[in-house]
Amino acid sequence: MALALLPAAAAAQLPDHPIGNASGTLAAGAEVSATLSRRDDVAFFNYTDYDNDALRLVRVRFTGEWRPRTQLSVVGEARSVGRNHFELAAAFVRWRPVAKWRVDIQAGRIPPVIGAFARRAYGRDNPLVGSPLAYQYLTSLRSDALPDSVDDLLRMRARGWRPTYPLGSQELAPGLPLVAAFHWDTGASAHWSNTWLDVAAAVTQGSSSYPVVREDNDGKQVSSRIAVSLPVGLSIGVSGARGNWIEREALDHATITPGVSLDQRVAAIDAELSRGHLIVRAEALRVTFQMPTGRAPSFLSPLVAHSGFIEARYRWRTRWQLAARADRLSFSDVQGTLFGGALTAWDAPVTRLEGTAGLRVTRTLELRGGYQYNWRDGGRTRRLGFPTVQLLYWF
Amino acid sequence: MTTRQLRPLSLALTIVALIVCARVSAVGARAPRTAGTLEAGNIRGHIQQPPVVPIVAHRPSVTDLGQTSHAAIDRTKAVVYIDSAPRQAFDALPAGRVKMDQLNQVFLPHLLAVTVGTTVEFPNDDPMFHNVMSLAKGNAFDLGRYPKGRSRSVRFDTPGVVPVVCDIHAHMSAYILVFSHRYFAITDDEGRYAMPNVPAGTYTLKVWSELGISEPKRITVVDGVTLDVDFQVVKK
Repeated sequence: MALALLPAAAAAQLPDHPIGNASGTLAAGAEVSATLSRRDDVAFFNYTDYDNDALRLVRVRFTGEWRPRTQLSVVGEARSVGRNHFELAAAFVRWRPVAKWRVDIQAGRIPPVIGAFARRAYGRDNPLVGSPLAYQYLTSLRSDALPDSVDDLLRMRARGWRPTYPLGSQELAPGLPLVAAFHWDTGASAHWSNTWLDVAAAVTQGSSSYPVVREDNDGKQVSSRIAVSLPVGLSIGVSGARGNWIEREALDHATITPGVSLDQRVAAIDAELSRGHLIVRAEALRVTFQMPTGRAPSFLSPLVAHSGFIEARYRWRTRWQLAARADRLSFSDVQGTLFGGALTAWDAPVTRLEGTAGLRVTRTLELRGGYQYNWRDGGRTRRLGFPTVQLLYWF
Repeated sequence: MTTRQLRPLSLALTIVALIVCARVSAVGARAPRTAGTLEAGNIRGHIQQPPVVPIVAHRPSVTDLGQTSHAAIDRTKAVVYIDSAPRQAFDALPAGRVKMDQLNQVFLPHLLAVTVGTTVEFPNDDPMFHNVMSLAKGNAFDLGRYPKGRSRSVRFDTPGVVPVVCDIHAHMSAYILVFSHRYFAITDDEGRYAMPNVPAGTYTLKVWSELGISEPKRITVVDGVTLDVDFQVVKK
């Protein structure tokens, strides 16, 4: 937080544009965000699949692009994970085979096609401090460990930060978000756009919840998105994905109905309206997880999760901005012997409201403060609020 | 008035003209005089800029699903201006309207120089939305997002350098220099500039360039005389 004490004049001396070589073929940028909030070691509302609290985190990103030819570039990003560890979060080749066709092929560890938030999850592109529940909140499902019955799953309600199951890995690990915004999948994508239409499709190794670098379940994910941009400043995107989400290690122990593909399916719609100083964005997702049948009480149908959020940002008097988001995550009902044998949501539904005020100290330095409140229908702590402060710098 | 009466007057004017010519030949080329001006001269010259190293304006586009491309930015222009002007220089400033277009994801022109009170139009001729803004002290503005075919404008009332950017497209940037007087000039494609009708007097002549810095020069403008003043900009 030492940066917060820098006067604006000193901050203005920091680089405000990417650095590169003389020929312009190399470009490098960075982003640093320092976020501070109250400690949450009971409810874990803001834990991520990186095992970090997203509201108590210093995150550093280094991005680079090498463009040896006009239509070819190599893009990469090293991202801090935890305190002393960096990960190559993105590394891919971008190739435009024919300049005038506007078709781009990307291959490697690539940005996700599904939805919209995952491609603007960091720093300046996210108008709030927290992330939408669909992209951050950890459900009680794991890709490497499986419940053997509905009761096993219900026991883990609201314990997505550290669910444990009898099948598969017995190591402690976090659950899965509906769509991973901070882990990217590996594969290839194709993208085409013109003034009003944007189409993308990808084939990757993992699934939306569980992106991987190396294939570990013999399944590929297919995802696509089509978006229309209207001249009034409204763009609407529809996307879908289907891919296997369970690791082979866990599958080896599961009871699987022959012919059933244990995949995760995502259907999403996203919209953005820009009008002057106001941006309004909304997304709705329906995600299904096909489960192994298991022992009684067994899984008779796929587990379904719904999530939706609407957020708005208003720029005010040049340097100030106000942003707010309303967010909801809910789950389909299952029936076991727990909870009196009643139909019960397979994980605890969560509602989140968040508001943030931001000040642009310089073009590339922003200070934010806000408040996030969470309600959850389960767990030891059912309500918790978080005052948040964030400092962002990028070039 | 008879021809005989005119003869002494003509003789006197001829002598004055000869003296002026002699002075001009000693200092520089003869300057054109503009009706209605007081004593004034011209300044012209050439700005030698350092080699144009492309400033990396394009942030690595890690999250994009495809390539983003934009037109090249002309960073070779510079502005020459006098640091302080005589009182009459501030009279009747031409507070008009000028245009800075947004086309192929660049601002055109990349560099503008205007007097205080000038309104700059920012039409959007790109198919996508743009958001023109600046956080310059005294000239901060944010025009919000607007689509192709729309234009928004800003009146600049405070002298200074105004870095202009698009809040959506990080690679878009431009500069507007706002002066409290009219004695400035932007270089042409060859780096030449011309500043006509500068009131006679002694000034400090300066150069603003995105590519580097240059030593200011102390000059004396003499009535009817064109001064040649060249600069060399060195990398910061």
